[in-house]
Amino acid sequence: MRMAPHGLLAGALASALALVCLGCRAHQPARLFPPDAAVLRLALADDVPTLDPAAGYDTASWEFEQVLFDTLLRYASDSNELRPDLALSWEVSPDARVFVFHMRADARFTNGRPVTSADLRYSIERVLNPKTRSQGVQYFLPLLGAADFAAGRAAHARGIETPDPYTIIFRLDKPDPIFLHKLAMPFAAAVPKEVVERWGDDFARHAVGSGPFMLKEWLSGQRLVLIKNPHYFIPGRPKLDAIVALIGVNEELQWLKFEAGEIDVSSIPPAEFTYVMKTPRLKTLTIHHVTATTNYLGMNCRMAPFSDVRVRQAFNYAVNKQKLVAILNGRGVVARGVLPPGMPGYDPDIGGYPYDPAKARRLLEQAGVRAGFAPVVWLTADPTMMILGQSIQQDLALVGVDLLLKPVAWGPLLDAVREPRAVQLFLLGWGADFPDPQNFLEVLFSKAQWGANNDTFYSDPKVEELLAQASVVAEPARRYALYQQIQQLIVGDAPWVFLYHPVAYVIRQPWVRGIRLHPLRPARLDHIYLAPSVAPRGTAPSAADITP
Amino acid sequence: MRRAGPNWLEMVGGAIALSLVVLALFAPQIAPHDPTQAVAQTFGDPGPPSLAFPCGTDQLGRDVLSRLIYGARVSLIVGLSAMAVAMTVGVAAGLCAGFFGGWTEMVLMRITDVMLTLPGLLLAMAFVAILRPSLLSILLVISLVSWTGVARVVRAETLSMASRDFVLAARALGASAGRLMIRHVMPNIAPTVIVMAALSTSGTLLLDAGLSFLGLGVPPPTPSWGRMVEESQIYFRTAPWLAFFPGLAILYAVLGFNLLGYGFLRRRHTR
Amino acid sequence: MLYYLIKRIAFGALVLLGASLITFCIAFVIPADPAVAIAGAKADPHTLATIRAQLGLDRPLYVQYVRYLGRALHGDLGRSYARRQSVSGLIVARFSATAVLAVCAMMLSLVLGTLGGLVAGAYRGRAPDNVLLTLSLTLVSIPVFWLGTMFLVGAAAYVRWLPLGGFDGARSLILPSFALALGSAGYYSRILQANLAEVVGQDYIRAARAKGLSPARVMLHHALANAILPLVTLAGLDFAGLLSGVVLTETVFNWPGLGRLAFEAVFNLDIPLIMGTVLFSSFLIVMANLVVDLLYAWLDPRTRLA
Repeated sequence: MRMAPHGLLAGALASALALVCLGCRAHQPARLFPPDAAVLRLALADDVPTLDPAAGYDTASWEFEQVLFDTLLRYASDSNELRPDLALSWEVSPDARVFVFHMRADARFTNGRPVTSADLRYSIERVLNPKTRSQGVQYFLPLLGAADFAAGRAAHARGIETPDPYTIIFRLDKPDPIFLHKLAMPFAAAVPKEVVERWGDDFARHAVGSGPFMLKEWLSGQRLVLIKNPHYFIPGRPKLDAIVALIGVNEELQWLKFEAGEIDVSSIPPAEFTYVMKTPRLKTLTIHHVTATTNYLGMNCRMAPFSDVRVRQAFNYAVNKQKLVAILNGRGVVARGVLPPGMPGYDPDIGGYPYDPAKARRLLEQAGVRAGFAPVVWLTADPTMMILGQSIQQDLALVGVDLLLKPVAWGPLLDAVREPRAVQLFLLGWGADFPDPQNFLEVLFSKAQWGANNDTFYSDPKVEELLAQASVVAEPARRYALYQQIQQLIVGDAPWVFLYHPVAYVIRQPWVRGIRLHPLRPARLDHIYLAPSVAPRGTAPSAADITP
Repeated sequence: MRRAGPNWLEMVGGAIALSLVVLALFAPQIAPHDPTQAVAQTFGDPGPPSLAFPCGTDQLGRDVLSRLIYGARVSLIVGLSAMAVAMTVGVAAGLCAGFFGGWTEMVLMRITDVMLTLPGLLLAMAFVAILRPSLLSILLVISLVSWTGVARVVRAETLSMASRDFVLAARALGASAGRLMIRHVMPNIAPTVIVMAALSTSGTLLLDAGLSFLGLGVPPPTPSWGRMVEESQIYFRTAPWLAFFPGLAILYAVLGFNLLGYGFLRRRHTR
Repeated sequence: MLYYLIKRIAFGALVLLGASLITFCIAFVIPADPAVAIAGAKADPHTLATIRAQLGLDRPLYVQYVRYLGRALHGDLGRSYARRQSVSGLIVARFSATAVLAVCAMMLSLVLGTLGGLVAGAYRGRAPDNVLLTLSLTLVSIPVFWLGTMFLVGAAAYVRWLPLGGFDGARSLILPSFALALGSAGYYSRILQANLAEVVGQDYIRAARAKGLSPARVMLHHALANAILPLVTLAGLDFAGLLSGVVLTETVFNWPGLGRLAFEAVFNLDIPLIMGTVLFSSFLIVMANLVVDLLYAWLDPRTRLA
């Protein structure tokens, strides 16, 4: 009895230590591969939501899905040009309604089975099937008979024909000049039916595709390991043997690990950004591009006083967008319209709204908005958004508007903004899915999208008419001219405060080569290779490592 | 009964509490700058402490010292009112449980047991997130997870009181339950209640700070210490002072009420 | 003893039932539409309608509750909206990291608390006692997330070999365990000091002193043995508080445990995951309390006889 407490403590300490050691063993991925293997080491802040191409609709999932699976078409590594993937060649009817693909015969799933046209049909029908609850449904509903199939009235979608194992034909119920881009989304990736059916909802954890890499291990919250697919149809690709992504490493820790040479590619946390850009040896290792994204403050055009265009314009003049970009350490481009630079149809001459608080005050006065007006802006509780929200709050205070911030979670934010008269103001962003202005202008400003993506409930008859006209025009020059006209009208009506287009930065170790940022998609990991001559792995980069 | 003068714990704790009240009441007169507007034109990177800005400026160019002073307001409002609500509910529940016994006690005490066993911060997080952060929702949720400790202590005290001679005598004379509780039991458990009040204020302050740190505090522009720590945490390598001061402010306030509580407790023991 | 055990287990079951009711309430007072949470940012009107029809949230509440309870008993806590994975799978994956941290912190706080309490007890009423009182009150008052942040500041500036967050290896445990443990250590030292004060006044201690045993020996072997028992119970009861601290500590140190999972669930308002983490934490607390009860019964012969 007398010794019991001490014994108890000692015993518990011993068991704690045992647990610790257990923990250590689970956390040493370094010994997974032989020392000379070309392993790309990454770190992710959050777990990958999914690896099931029917389910994923976010950057993290797509980054890995696009190297695990193949689609008929894919993008070039750094442009919006479409390249063959599972397809060898294709024909599009002049009215953009029939699409014929001739597929390569040497593609195999990593379980050994060849990828055929039937697999592609199954994969797209799986997305259409309501039981899958895929967010990609919308992109394939224009296929003939898709609605019948989705409702269970037909065994197959009539619009997908597979005359032989390596030919597939898609027929649409109306012209769609951007359908090819939809086929390049991971939603349209080939998945093997037998594996999907075996695992059901857990397919994501046992993903099998035909891409350059295959899933080796996914320990939730710890790490994701992909290894080279030895039977990939492009010989010599990929050049990496494996990709190890540590999960749950936030931006700050990523940076520390990068500095210690423990990871090969990293994002740059805001607190370190100024330092990186002031340090020449680090600055040369950064890669950046303007994302095809527009961040905006949406104003509900059906709710007073934002139903008055003068109030909306006043807000545009009142918000200091330059300051927002400064707060982001310059990682943004001030937006003057809806479309981000680099997007087809982008209009470099659009004027937008310069920062002009005096003009904003005048417009508010004309619109009869009194001092003490306190609208509520909804935004995600994300730290960056909260800082930007507070900056906008400061700006509006200077023109007599007491902006209130309402931080909510992502789901409820989307839920609320889709209600017709619930949310006056909201801070959101839109990233392009396709390199086409329709993907911004129609999806975000047409009346058909009320309650879905047009959350400002903006609608203008002239804009509607032009949108209908433009959507079926396949000829680029005419198509983009129409969309530029639409954008001018929308900017004039100002349903958004056009804020900025984020600029994405990553930093690589000197030995990492072939990394390219894509305008729309996550960077393709299968293009990356490691330069063996540079620096022993595991040491921090020094000035000598940098080769031009 | 010999009345002891205030002990050093009470004096220090009281001084801290008083200083907080003064800061909160006279924040506009004391704070050198507007806590919400940019006073330094350095956006993106925090500014180091200087003569003009003794605690530095944050990434929005705001004066941290002024924000700290104004931050006392929301902390005190949430901390004290949540304490008041929790105390009211806790004392009422504890009194009823201790006094009536039987089913009342059984039900009330099982509820407190269950609540005490649940992870308080986790529950508070979930409820605030669902109700959406606002002064009222935070206050209510903090009270909701804080009253049970009070109820338990008050019940124990009431039980020991209920069997005392003077209560039994009053009961024999036909005093009503309500009268008994308020006239006879309450005054005798008052010292305990005061100790609990001081100690649970430090608890509610910490809970509020924790929620704010997790982004579930009173929304901006109201300066709040927990959120200030959260917003400056990413600068732990490049601008460590930014997180240092607001955390120190939390510690100062919580310590004040803890000292007060222990001071009261010591007074009771020495009496 | 058996009766006692059954009583404790029954109470544990009651707590879990209460927890399940509360988590269920959380899910149903919520005004948000789960279809939107599942459909995500870019759903068109058609997708939203399809998903709403699929969910079938049209049964009466009590039926849904009973079903939920039934599934929970089989370890099925539903699927996370944000992660599209099974909640129990996510919890299992994150459990080990939290267990390591919580156990280390608890041991550390007991050891430090015992040391502090002993010193305070030995010097009762004298200067070191007052210093330790102030120290322990300060420790109790420090917000754990700030202490953690300050540890990060200090380690980043002065201790190059300490990992500044994340979970890899035993070294990465040092900062978060200390951050988490110090508050409880302050608390335990106060309690132990108070217990010692009570025990020291009792007859057998006086008798031991009268026999001529050294004060240190009396303190360590006689007083401590009896004063530490309530501390063990307290540590068990404090487990709930420890888990609250875990949420904050894991957030500061980017620790891949349950606390971060819960935080992310709340951040995304991922209802099934919130319900799952709250319920599982309650389960852990109930188990911890049960273990402590058993330990106590085993250590203290009086309960063994009961």
